[in-house]
Amino acid sequence: MPRVAITGLGFVTSIGNDRTAVTDSLRELKHGIALSTNLTDKDPISVLGTLKGFDTTSMDVEDWTYPSDYKIRREHLRSMSPHVLYAHCALVQAIADSGLDEHEVSSRETGLFTASAGSPRGVHFNIERMNNLGVGRVSPMAVVSSVVGSLSFNLVASFKIMGASGGFASACASSGHALGYAFDEIALGRQQRMFVVGAEDGNREAILPFAGMRALSPSKDPAAASRPFDKNRNGFVGTGGGAVMVLENLDAAKARGAKIYAELLGWGQASDGYNVAISHPEGHGLAEAMTRAMNASKVNPEQVEYINAHATSTQIGDLSEIQALRKAFPEHRPFVSSTKALTGHGLSLASVMEAGFTAIGMHENFTPGSANITTLDPKTEGVNILTETHTSAPKIALKNSSGFGGANVTLVMRAMD
Amino acid sequence: MSSIPNNPLTPEQEEVLRDSLKRCSPETLEAAIAFRNQGDISKAPTVIIGIIERFCEPDVRPRLKEPGADDLRVMDDLGIDSLTMVDIVMMVEESLEITIDNEDLAGLRTIAEIKTFVACKLTGEAIPEPAKNIDSMEIPDIMPHADPFLFVQQAAIRGDEITGSYKISGEEAFLKGHFKDNPVFPASIMLEALGQLAVLYLLASDDKSLAGKVDASKILFTACDGVRCSRVCKPGDTLSMSVTAKKIRHPGAAFTGKITVDSEKAVFAEEISLKFDYVEGTVSAAPDAPTAE
Repeated sequence: MPRVAITGLGFVTSIGNDRTAVTDSLRELKHGIALSTNLTDKDPISVLGTLKGFDTTSMDVEDWTYPSDYKIRREHLRSMSPHVLYAHCALVQAIADSGLDEHEVSSRETGLFTASAGSPRGVHFNIERMNNLGVGRVSPMAVVSSVVGSLSFNLVASFKIMGASGGFASACASSGHALGYAFDEIALGRQQRMFVVGAEDGNREAILPFAGMRALSPSKDPAAASRPFDKNRNGFVGTGGGAVMVLENLDAAKARGAKIYAELLGWGQASDGYNVAISHPEGHGLAEAMTRAMNASKVNPEQVEYINAHATSTQIGDLSEIQALRKAFPEHRPFVSSTKALTGHGLSLASVMEAGFTAIGMHENFTPGSANITTLDPKTEGVNILTETHTSAPKIALKNSSGFGGANVTLVMRAMD
Repeated sequence: MSSIPNNPLTPEQEEVLRDSLKRCSPETLEAAIAFRNQGDISKAPTVIIGIIERFCEPDVRPRLKEPGADDLRVMDDLGIDSLTMVDIVMMVEESLEITIDNEDLAGLRTIAEIKTFVACKLTGEAIPEPAKNIDSMEIPDIMPHADPFLFVQQAAIRGDEITGSYKISGEEAFLKGHFKDNPVFPASIMLEALGQLAVLYLLASDDKSLAGKVDASKILFTACDGVRCSRVCKPGDTLSMSVTAKKIRHPGAAFTGKITVDSEKAVFAEEISLKFDYVEGTVSAAPDAPTAE
């Protein structure tokens, strides 16, 4: 069975708009959360993981500003919503990072899987315009720029992707599913390489609705709002952006002398079958996802040195993951950290972004810590929460992701020798 | 100054207009305001060109200012797709307060056709019949010619005119010898291409001078007069061809023809003559009548 290498990364995130900046933020535990000008005084939250160097506040794409390194033709810009722009830029980076040429990118052997919740702001704007002015005054790009799937439509067209393509919608596990099924495409010999893209608008319209379920942190302190595993955590901080991981047939990657961040060994998934929005208090689904992922990857729990947790900084969710970890690792205590303390929670973007962080650590020889823990929640006892950056990299690491409806995905990565 | 009845813009309407045209050139906005305030129809083309320009990628915009811009094909020459055409139409509708139907939109290919269409809309004159596009996949089936000697890739007929195009790929075998290490598309082949377009006209138009169905195997190129060639055409160039029927009277047919490349004149032929015959049994009883000149 073909093995799968990670050969390229691209980031537009709250903690950096390229791999170098992101690496520095992870190592130094520098966060990307700020008081947001998107939010109003009446809103019960004040902070978001914010993107620097991008302004997508206007509904008119031609008003947007973004780093001048990216040259985007109107033909492509016109059908974008904010998350598509972020992902487009991240994909440009990832392609350059992988060293793949134009013909390899646009080939029957190259596919692209995406994960995004679409653009709630775009959908709202277009429906309101339709109701007020009639559908004849709605942009012909209304549908393809805003609905779930816009990310795939746009990137497949702009980058002339000719292999497998499609999107995944399992909320905060979406890009974990995208990575898992992209792994399968290569492992089954269907594709030589896959781009896996996660992206979210991360603006008021995309994040604030979560305050309706009381899931967001009301904190006004950007430096302490997102604090997974801290006793006083009070909800997650939302963020948007785009992240891309290039997966490639390991032999093909070696043959062309590609830089390899890590090997993606395998993955597993299982569902809670419990509640539409609340994770199972005993973490049944996530524990099973971890066990299946390790079995599929032929890895013993004892070999796992680090887990990049899903933990978003909510009371219930973090504890559910702790229970799952206890189950999957009854006799062994790998390091556990949540990088969401730095970035905020990227929803559909989270899994591929954090898998990318884990791969960076494996390549650059460090393990990012779980920031902002002043009082470790005593209920995490028995789980080895890493609160500072550790100066060596894990040989084997897991990346956990959980989404609404109790969807759980675990990915297994191995450092290259 | 031709004008239509109008109500001057209210400040609110002017604000909306300014916002909707904010990415167009200042002349476009001025023209739109003058059009709306004074009903000055002569301003309409400026508004239309300004809106089309606004939706073009920056690298093709200068072409709209060049001579012969009216012949530019919105999709093929300016790279505008059908969805952007909807954006353009919405903005033209908002600026000039007219409505354009989807069916009408589909028939508009060149800048000139769009200008004529909007002018007719504004004055209430009859709108010329839209061009009949011939599916590029069907051309090889209709024509007696075939690869490697077919030089028409796209074509459309409107009234007594047929327009068409051929992109010089550089793979044409004769370019190896014309000339050595210097591929130049031969003038004789350009005349052949115009002749082929005239053949396509005889086979695909519903010209009233034709009394039956023309037999594809019975058309011959017989003469060509008043030829002037004025531009070297090379691989990568697209020949934009136009042939107009001057006189069709069985068994003769006479046409004028011209070729431009990127709006530059390349070839002009005052008279291209063909001989043709009908498929047996398809000739109607009415005698052949000459085409109006």
